[in-house]
Amino acid sequence: MSALRLISNRTSQPALSNSDYTWDYEYYEYGPVSFEGLKAHKYSIVIGFWVGLAVFVIFMFFVLTLLTKTGAPHQDNAELSEKRFRMNSFVADFGRPLESERVFSHQMAEESQSLFHFCINEVDHRNKEKENQKGPSLESNTHFHEVPKSSGMLEEDLHCLTKFNIPNFVNTEQNSSLGEDDLLISEPPIIL
Amino acid sequence: ENISDFSLNITDCTQVVVPEEVFFTVAAAGILENLLILIAVIRNKNLHLPMYFFICSLAISDMLGSLYKTLENIFIILCKMGYLTRHGDFEKKLDDAMDSMFILSLLGSIFSLLAIAADRYITIFYALRYHNIMTLRRALVILAVIWAFCAGSSIAIALFSYEAATVIPFTILFPLMMFFILCLYVHMFLLARSHAKKIASLPSSTVHHRTNMKGAITLTIFLGVFLCCWAPFVLHILLARFCPHNPYCACYMSIFHVNGTLIMCNAIINPMIFAFRSPELRSTFKKMFYCSR
Repeated sequence: MSALRLISNRTSQPALSNSDYTWDYEYYEYGPVSFEGLKAHKYSIVIGFWVGLAVFVIFMFFVLTLLTKTGAPHQDNAELSEKRFRMNSFVADFGRPLESERVFSHQMAEESQSLFHFCINEVDHRNKEKENQKGPSLESNTHFHEVPKSSGMLEEDLHCLTKFNIPNFVNTEQNSSLGEDDLLISEPPIIL
Repeated sequence: ENISDFSLNITDCTQVVVPEEVFFTVAAAGILENLLILIAVIRNKNLHLPMYFFICSLAISDMLGSLYKTLENIFIILCKMGYLTRHGDFEKKLDDAMDSMFILSLLGSIFSLLAIAADRYITIFYALRYHNIMTLRRALVILAVIWAFCAGSSIAIALFSYEAATVIPFTILFPLMMFFILCLYVHMFLLARSHAKKIASLPSSTVHHRTNMKGAITLTIFLGVFLCCWAPFVLHILLARFCPHNPYCACYMSIFHVNGTLIMCNAIINPMIFAFRSPELRSTFKKMFYCSR
């Protein structure tokens, strides 16, 4: 690479003559490098580097797998309430409102409750389902994209929770393979 | 000047040559793929969102990297055919310009990945306020700042690349950014897992317990690909600066063309990991291809 020419110019001999020019690169030899008396294999840095990289990647993979088994040990309270209201909105969306609400509603903050109503109303409006109108919907300037939900998804309704569109995420596919892994790669839907 | 001064030892590490066809194919595929993404995002109004702008920024840096390699190849071929001299002033300037393009591509890639990770992080942890935090204007401002910084640094690095003071920050920036991006994704990952556990623990939950491996595999692929494609080159820069005469280092530097090809492969793989995962983008592609028939 030609940037190397700038690096090597200070310490190396000038360029090769034209007759020794390889077909593709101006590669400057770094002067006479003696290969006598090498203790280790001459490609030891190459091998060591790639082995180290592979070990690191595998190690990272095992750490992540370990994390999946233990999960997150602690969360913020704010995070918890936010998550719970979201969870409630999704659960309510799929026709199991009262049960889960009773489980979690006593722990919800007031703000999350009103937001929960807003979500319920948003989802209701979009899906044209008749949910219990619990209260006034929260005025919001966020834009929710359409979430087409097929009625046949009730079997895996909790998977469908992942389709909830938060602002700026266009996620309209009824693809049940979306899950927590797509959090990382595609537009991450909110995972409950 | 002559290579005859160089005592050719039979055990020398000779340059590992990548065939010209492979090089041009990989470079062309990278450029076309990323150009396709840019066109798709520009044409579809639904994709005028901060997230897609960051993906576009990544596509632009990948395109620059592949373009650099293609131009360098063409430059070399022109030199070989005699249209350009190798020590002319114009050629040196052209060379410097191409070097800064390449470093711009590397820095642009790193910062685009960082922006994408930060965008997803804000989406997950500040979901309700996301729309106010990450407005379209702010996203464009962030991109402008990132590219201005990358352009400035790339010119500085290309001009002063013989100074250790530029090589060291350059090589420290790379693992630092990787580590930061890893932290962001691991935090998001943990949240996803805790949510999945909560769902599984709901009384009337009928969800199947999804395999835990898929998320770990995806994240490993994402970070592993970037690391494997760029780290060899970064190590090359370090070794070229600090131990050019060491035989071990020289042997590592002899596989330089393979490292360059890896960087271009990254330009091909990145869209598959980021852009093509989006259903909206995929449907835009389908529309583009069906309309053109």
